[in-house]
Formats: sequence, structure tokens, C-alpha cells
Amino acid sequence: MLAEVLAGLLAVLDWQVLAFLCAGVCMGAVFGALPGLTATMGVAVLTPLTFWVSPEQGLAMLLGIYCGAIPAGGIPAILINVPGTPASIATSWDGYALTRKGQAGLALGINALASVTGQLASILFLSFLAFPIARFALQFGPAEYFGLALLGISLMAGVSGRHVLKGMLSGMLGLSLALVGLDPMTAYPRYTFGLSEFLDGISFIPVMIGLFGLAEVLVQVSERRAGIRSPAATIGRVIPNASECKSMLGATFSGATVGTMVGAIPAAGGDIGSVIAWEQARRTSPDKAKFGKGSLRGLAASCAACNGAIGGAMTTMLTLGIPGDAVSAVLIGALLIHGIQPGPLLFANRQSFVFSIVFLMAFASLLIMAVGILGARPLARILRVPAPWLWAGIVLFGSVGAYALNNAVADLWAMFAAGIVGFLFRKAQIPLGPLVLGLILGPMMESNLRRALILSRGDWTGMLARPILLLFLVGTVLALLWPLIQRRRATRVSGNQDASPDA
Amino acid sequence: MKRSDIVAGGLFLALGIALLATGAAFPPGVGGLPGAGFFPQIIGGVTALLAGALIVNTRAGSAGSRIEIENIRHVAGALGLLCLYLLLWGTGFFVIRTAVFLLLLLTFLGQRWISAAVCSTVLTVFAYLAFDMGLNVSLE
Repeated sequence: MLAEVLAGLLAVLDWQVLAFLCAGVCMGAVFGALPGLTATMGVAVLTPLTFWVSPEQGLAMLLGIYCGAIPAGGIPAILINVPGTPASIATSWDGYALTRKGQAGLALGINALASVTGQLASILFLSFLAFPIARFALQFGPAEYFGLALLGISLMAGVSGRHVLKGMLSGMLGLSLALVGLDPMTAYPRYTFGLSEFLDGISFIPVMIGLFGLAEVLVQVSERRAGIRSPAATIGRVIPNASECKSMLGATFSGATVGTMVGAIPAAGGDIGSVIAWEQARRTSPDKAKFGKGSLRGLAASCAACNGAIGGAMTTMLTLGIPGDAVSAVLIGALLIHGIQPGPLLFANRQSFVFSIVFLMAFASLLIMAVGILGARPLARILRVPAPWLWAGIVLFGSVGAYALNNAVADLWAMFAAGIVGFLFRKAQIPLGPLVLGLILGPMMESNLRRALILSRGDWTGMLARPILLLFLVGTVLALLWPLIQRRRATRVSGNQDASPDA
Repeated sequence: MKRSDIVAGGLFLALGIALLATGAAFPPGVGGLPGAGFFPQIIGGVTALLAGALIVNTRAGSAGSRIEIENIRHVAGALGLLCLYLLLWGTGFFVIRTAVFLLLLLTFLGQRWISAAVCSTVLTVFAYLAFDMGLNVSLE
């Protein structure tokens, strides 16, 4: 094991890998700091740049973007009350209140420090728990993998709020798109329409660029979100003093823990984690009244949680091959392009690579500290870049990147079509996450279900006798029914309030 | 208010039925085991069921939303320009073609000519240097 750890560390200490990591963190910081550009979009649009480098270098850049974008998403949330990424929603509640009090610098400093703490805590989680989880997952057979994929898609549909049915349909569309290409068991061509470009299936990266890049540009053009408020002119003190650090310590660690746990649940990312952590910190804090009005504890908890979710999501992705959030879904696609299949076998066959990921994330966290504290002022300035310039850049780099994957014009049209579908889905309030998950997990679901049926000689009841599969199926049913139960309960509570004489 | 959900439900229903029908046409598996049409038929059946549920649910009035696309002229224009740009892909002159596309896109989206020209030139040159010269992707 020690030899694998050292090999992982040595692979990361290569100057080119570190240069790619630095570039990734800086690009991620720009993507996170600009409202409308997200970590998912950054990873999707910039993945093609990594095709020509080694897996370690490519992954260094993509992880840098991921780890850099999430904390940087707190910068516009703090300065102009517009979250840079969905994960920074809770950051704006106390962060912007601090800016209004003239303490923008302090809020940015806390954002950097709590984010680094959250990421490092989640990396510890990844380091210590990933191997036992992967060892447990090695017991999985085809039936369990099918159940796991089903649970992943159901969880993502289940967190679609009021739109569970639409979330499930979105997942079904993803699974339908995954059918295109050669049948995984018999190599019979399906839905290729006689075109050789479709024999390998629909390219994942162009679809991601379309769904998350082009569609977002179209939404912003539609809503004319060109006018961004200018950030505060004065930033002030950035580093919190010792007593401030001491007061935030508990909230930071509880936020990091909550974020990591939530991030490890497939489909639940930093956006959910940070809100839960903020509420948790409020409930346990002696100064509840300050929350939402510039509480340092509230800000630290939310920042630590949304970054803690990164390690949690990576743990699920690497050990089980199921994305923990949208960014890790795109990362899976990138890893597959580099010939790396996430899942328990990765831990059995390429341990040093897993440790490289752990070290890359740890180094990225340290870089974020530097970028977050030293780069707070320059990053605040890039908020003044006109939105149409960003739109043009995303459209151009999205197109060139989609084409560069296979030098195929068909990929450009896949991106174009996915952009229109993504735009219409966003407008019709149909969640995109399940579609992505369906597209990724479709081949795994199909081949494992068919293998399981072959092993049980076509006997479905024989499959159901497997306890782990049964557990996943119960989880799937609960994931889909839970939002309905919650909605019914909320309706009953509001009905009772309406009926009460005080109402 | 419910039209978009019913339209979406209808489209998904059509997709489900199409998958069911085409899945049945694929070769069956050997020895009673699942063949190439097995999974498409499962997906098609579940999609059709869920789409039916969405339509019924929407008609019952418990859910429903309308797609409201503001600035449809700008969205359609941007898509039209991109479509034209992609149609011309592979015809050579990447730098000129891209710079003109970006210039038109930026001015269409309300940027002044001069700032649009600067932005389109910088982006085009950067993309060309990064992909064509740096990564050896033939963009022509």
C-alpha cells in the first residue's frame, strides 16, 4: 500500500501535472466567479483540452477546475448577492450581508479558509472510506450493479423537487439515448440509422457541452442577463483574526462533515449540502438571530459544506462508478475517454492512480487558499466582463472542443441538438441531471441486467433473492416516493394552518 | 398553463411507443434469454407509462407549467447564426469564418462593432492557437 501511495504522490509531483493543476484551479476560479458559468460547464467545455495529455495531467486540470470553481462561486455570492454556482446559494445569505456592512474582504477570506477546510476534510473521508467501500462493492454482481444504477437515476429524479415525474422522464430519455450504437451483448446495431458515426453510440462530451454550455448561453440570452451589478469598490481586511477563527471552528467542521455526507449521496451535491449545513449551524449556534444578517458561523458552515461535497461526490464516483453530482457525472465521461473506468476495480487494479487523485485534490485545496486570499481583488474585477463576451467564448470553445473529440462534424450537431434540448428542458422545468445520468449509466444498466438474467437463467425472482439488490430496490422506491410523501405532508400542514382560527 | 407539460408528455409517449415498436423488430435472444430488443422495450414501456402519468396528472390539474421564452428573436437569431457556422464547418478559412461568426453574434446580441471586433479577434486567435497550433486539431 505504501508503495502505491508513494507512486501516486510521485506522479503528481511532476512539474507538468502541477502546472495543469494550477491552470485548472485558475480557470475554475474564473468559471466559478462569473455568475452563469458553473463548475459543470467549465469541466464539460474544457474536457476536450485534456485529450492530448496523460490521464494524470488531464485529470489534474479537470479536478483543478472542479475544486477551484466551487469556492470561487462564493465570490459573486458575497460581493453582489448572485451565487456563482448553485452550491453557493447559502453563501450569499450571510456573505452579502457582511459586504453591506463593509466587510467584503473578511467574507472572502472566510470563504477561502472554510472552503479549504471543507475540501481537506472531504479528502480525508475519501482517503479513509473509499477503499473499504470499494472492497465492499467488489462483492457486487451484475444484479447489484443494475440495482445501483437504478438507485442512482431514481435519486437524481427524486431530488427534482416538485418535478419528480419529469425527472424520471428525463432519466428515461437519457437511457433511450444510451441505446444508440451496438448492442453491448450481441453487437447488433440499434438506432444508428445506417450512419457509421453512431455505431459507437452518442458521444458523451458533445452532449454535455450542449446541455450545460450552449443551453445555459441560450437561457441567458433569452433572459437577457447581461447586466451584472458592479461589486463593492472597497474590499477591506481579508484574513479573519484569531477570535473570529475560534468562533467559526465548530461551524466549519460541522459544515464540512454535513457537506461530505450529503455529497456522497448520489445526485445530492453542494447546493443541498450547504443549505442543510447552514440550517444545522443556525440551530446549534448561540447567536441564531445573526444568521442571514452577516453571521460568520453561517458563512463558514455553508462554505465548508459546499466544498466538502466535492470529496463526498468523488468518493461515490470513484468507488461505485455512480456520479455524486452533475460535475462528477461529466468527470466520469472525461475519465472514460482517458481509458479509466471508475468503480471498485479501479481500487483493485490502479491504486496509485486513486492516490494521485487524493493528492491532486489536496494540492488543489492549497492552491485555492492562495487564489482565494491573494486573488480576491482581481477575481472581483472580472465580474465586470460583459456577458455577451462570455457567451461568445462558450459557444466558440464548446464548438471547437466538441469537434476536437473525434474530428467529427456529427459531434458538432450532437452538441447543437443537445443545446436546444437542454434549453427547452430548462424552460419546461425538466431537470437535466437524470438525463445525463441515464446516458452514462444506460450501458451499465442494460449489460448488467442482461448478465444477471443470463446467470439466473431468466428467472426474475431468483434475482430478487439477493439482499443487496433488494436493498437498492427498496432505496429506489423510497427515493421516488419520498418527495410525494413530503408534498402530501406539506399540503396537510398548510391545510391545518388555514383551518386554524389564528390563520 | 398546462400546455407544455401535455406536449412534453405527448412527445415522451411517442418516444415510448416508438421504442416498444422498434424493440420488437430487433432479433430475439437465444434460448429464451434477452436479445437486442429487450432493454429498448423495457425503456419504451416505462417511458410510455410515465408519460401517460404526466398527461393524466397535468389534466387533473395538480401540476403544469407553460414554456415562456422571452426574447425569442435573440434566441432564434443566435441559434440560426450558430447553425450557419456549423454548416460551413470544414470549408476552410477557420480564422476568417470564426471571426465573422463571432462578430455577427456579438453585434446581434447588442455589442458595439468595435468591442465586438476586438472580442471576436481575440477569441478566434486564442482558439486557433490553442487547438490548431497547440493541440494539432485540424480546424480547417
